[in-house]
Amino acid sequence: MTPQLPHLLSLLVALPILGALVVALTPRGSESLAKLVGLGVSLAAFLASLQLVTAFKDVAAYQFDESVPWIPSLGISYHVGIDGLSLWLVILTTLLTPLCLLGAWSQIASRVKEFVLFMLLLEAGMIGVFVALDLFLFYVFWEAMLIPMYFLIGIWGHDRRIYAAVKFFLYTFAGSVLMLVAFLVLYRHVGTFDIPKLVAMPVAPWLQTWLFLACALAFAIKVPMWPFHTWLPDAHVEAPTAGSVILAGVMLKMGGYGFLRLAIPLFPDAALRLAPLVGVLAVIGIVYGALVSLVQPDLKKLVAYSSVSHLGFVMLGIAGLSTIGVTGAVYQMLNHGVSTGALFFLVGMLYDRRHTRLISEFGGLRAAMPWYFAMFLLISLSSIAMPGTNGFVGEFLILMGAWSASPKLVAVASLGVILAAAYILWMVKRVFYGELRNPKNQGLPDLSPRETAVLLPLVALAIVMGVLSPAFTRRIEPSAEALVRRVHAHVQPAPAGVAALLKAPAAQAPPPAPDAGNVR
Amino acid sequence: MSEVLDLRPALPAALVALTGVVVLLAQAFTPKGQRAPSSALSLVGLVGALAAVVALGGGSARGAVLAGALAADGLSLFLQALILAVAILTVLLSPGYLRANGIERGEHYALLLFSVVGMLGLVSSLELVSMFVALEIMSVALYGLAGFDRARRESQESALKYFVTGSFASAFFLYGVALVYGVTGSTALERVTRSLGTASPAALPLAVLGAALLLVGFGFKVASVPFHMWTPDVYEGAPTTVTAFMSAGVKAAAFGALLRVFDYGLPSLASHWQPLVAALAVVTMVVGNLAALAQTSLKRLLAYSSIAHAGYLMSALVAPPALASEAILFYLVAYAAVNLGAFGVIAALAREGREPASVADLAGLSERRPALAAALAVFLVSLTGIPVTAGFVGKFYLFNAAVASGWVVLALVGVITSVVSAYYYLRLVVAMYMEAPLGEDRFAAVAPAAVLALSLSAAATLVFGLWPAPVLALARLAGRSLF
Repeated sequence: MTPQLPHLLSLLVALPILGALVVALTPRGSESLAKLVGLGVSLAAFLASLQLVTAFKDVAAYQFDESVPWIPSLGISYHVGIDGLSLWLVILTTLLTPLCLLGAWSQIASRVKEFVLFMLLLEAGMIGVFVALDLFLFYVFWEAMLIPMYFLIGIWGHDRRIYAAVKFFLYTFAGSVLMLVAFLVLYRHVGTFDIPKLVAMPVAPWLQTWLFLACALAFAIKVPMWPFHTWLPDAHVEAPTAGSVILAGVMLKMGGYGFLRLAIPLFPDAALRLAPLVGVLAVIGIVYGALVSLVQPDLKKLVAYSSVSHLGFVMLGIAGLSTIGVTGAVYQMLNHGVSTGALFFLVGMLYDRRHTRLISEFGGLRAAMPWYFAMFLLISLSSIAMPGTNGFVGEFLILMGAWSASPKLVAVASLGVILAAAYILWMVKRVFYGELRNPKNQGLPDLSPRETAVLLPLVALAIVMGVLSPAFTRRIEPSAEALVRRVHAHVQPAPAGVAALLKAPAAQAPPPAPDAGNVR
Repeated sequence: MSEVLDLRPALPAALVALTGVVVLLAQAFTPKGQRAPSSALSLVGLVGALAAVVALGGGSARGAVLAGALAADGLSLFLQALILAVAILTVLLSPGYLRANGIERGEHYALLLFSVVGMLGLVSSLELVSMFVALEIMSVALYGLAGFDRARRESQESALKYFVTGSFASAFFLYGVALVYGVTGSTALERVTRSLGTASPAALPLAVLGAALLLVGFGFKVASVPFHMWTPDVYEGAPTTVTAFMSAGVKAAAFGALLRVFDYGLPSLASHWQPLVAALAVVTMVVGNLAALAQTSLKRLLAYSSIAHAGYLMSALVAPPALASEAILFYLVAYAAVNLGAFGVIAALAREGREPASVADLAGLSERRPALAAALAVFLVSLTGIPVTAGFVGKFYLFNAAVASGWVVLALVGVITSVVSAYYYLRLVVAMYMEAPLGEDRFAAVAPAAVLALSLSAAATLVFGLWPAPVLALARLAGRSLF
């Protein structure tokens, strides 16, 4: 065993920021230097993050914990740590960032320095969200991350980039500000921003409902859950490939992660009561996303809408509030990061060659680009949850976990599995099979070594995660179990009636019986 | 008796006033064809005053002078340091701008220094009449500054509008002072507090009316809706460096006095003025932000943004003094750095009487002036209230103060209007970063002094955003003088 690096999590956050500073100082014109620094730093962060996996103990506790007072007058501290829910998401972030930089190597022609800088800042922000254990710190990373992504879409995106960038920013910003007010209200009632402390503190049920709703809105927009998804197709389609990969691969996960890290453990009663609503919205998202994907003429839009459907599964697993379901949800987040990330890379590579993404422009590519086809097919299979690939494990766990909560929802969600097979395979058929009729597609070059280097790790992961899933899930499970146990153990008797759920008992309802135990 | 003779608390203001006189004299004794070293003299005087403030803060002499009219307590020292810092940055920004507009005259610095004297007095007054005198010293000098670019009609209009509405506001203020005096028999805030505590219920309506009139007077000065009408015209017409100074300095001075009068002088009427303040805060946030959406002129947009920020600041005023002062004082620091910076960037680009006037003029700025564009982007992000800037920490504290005192609705209006504001601030970022530059490069190379001023503002915005604890601790300490 190598000795463990000290302050590993802080190092992971600081490394990209330092890298960004170095990139900012590189002279204008030396673009490959900026790219090399970016790639080197993000690879170093990836290698360092692997230490998290080797040193991680399969227990529910927060690990690699660091806490330093930051703003004493409100008791805010720089508190970071990870558990099974965040471990793999950190790794996913550190893995996808260097791949994105490598993938964008020759794609980004203008303002390369700024591009690398924003990618590194984005990485720092994303890691920060996953490791923050203080509400203030969490919010700082959560919001700060929007800025680099806004620039990535707005500067290097496609035709409607400005519209998409502004829409992305305003949507997510609007969602998160209500969460900020919820944090402040929570602080007023409990007096701390520290997440581990908050988890142990009971909050009055009427207050929980409001706070849960405020946080849930922020997270639902990020996921995105139907009907808050309308920013996603615009942002994904207009973003440059690297932006889409990060957006789909990591940033969408923050919605689900937010539910697991904050909304559910902090407001367990409200979560338990509102879980059916979340489940219904999730299932609508699954079916809606799949149906819309089915009719997309544009490859990138198809992948974008398929994300709505796939993330619906994640939310269904979370809404089931069972250990299996939550484990499956976390696993599915990773799967989606790997397979949809790879799909966006693949679509981007095709776009680089043909400058179009319309499915009707293609056909018979199998012959022209055999290696590309092989990679595409494997990732497609993972995306439709073929047994043997990672997608299968995730969706299976989710459906199994949600069954105990609602067999009906699972039945409808299964439709989504079938529809996924339909829209993906139909797309594969139209793009790769048949005859190569369009003369523009003749002689398209197959994958370059650089592109292979980008795709291979993801394709390999899709298979490894499909066959060796316990190596991953056993690290997730203890934390998932602890979360589920907390939700079901701390349930406070629900006051009767909708009004009682939303109003302070002192103001409206008669004082509850002394043994009710729900008034602090 | 020794207390009365201890003039040390008045030292910073006296130094600045003296410098103002020296600048005027130097101007008079400079031979024709040569330039008086006005900006250098002003800098020396302001830095000296800042040193005096720091020395007072470290020393023991912090009592009241002039029969209890002026104080060198925590609140006044904190705000005096802020106002002097704002003035120093303005002086750094000015020479380049004045030269570009052909109005490089020493009187500019003298007027600036005199208005600083008024601001310093305003935040250290413990007595309503001296507060009024300070308010007038500040305002009269600012009227002159707003009209300083005499050749431009907009500048004249700006001065006249500011003068008329400012006098109007002063009348309200004075009437409020008269009513408070009528009820309490004193204009010294300490005695006002004491006698209001024991006043008969019959006198209450008069006292509340007095408080309301004072609030109207302050409402004009901080540009709160519905007393904001002058702001866009004055901000647009005044020379840009003056606008920068007004938006940062006047806001700090007026909010300091507002805190002093309402939290120290009239706390016993809190249950009456708090709803008024809350209502003003809500309409100011809503109207300021919505009106800013429709602006295409840069300076008007920033003027409405400045109105909106008065609303954010007011939303913390409903909190108990300890919370309110900490939040408001920190935000004033953050806001001063950011607003000075934002107007400073516009001023720094001025050349031969032209400066970027509309949002479209900023198109492609990131390619032509990457550092300036980056600085303006930082300021705009901070105005929106996004981490890791001082503006975020500031808003966090303002809204926390509102929530902690039970005014969740103020925080809700605040964050929702912040989302609205994101739209118009982002438009500038879009223009700078996502649109191609139009036409030839018409803007100036930035003067070294302005580079220094803008770097300091940007550094403050980021450093106080990442490490706000020291400023917050000082603000907390300063707030102690209120209770």
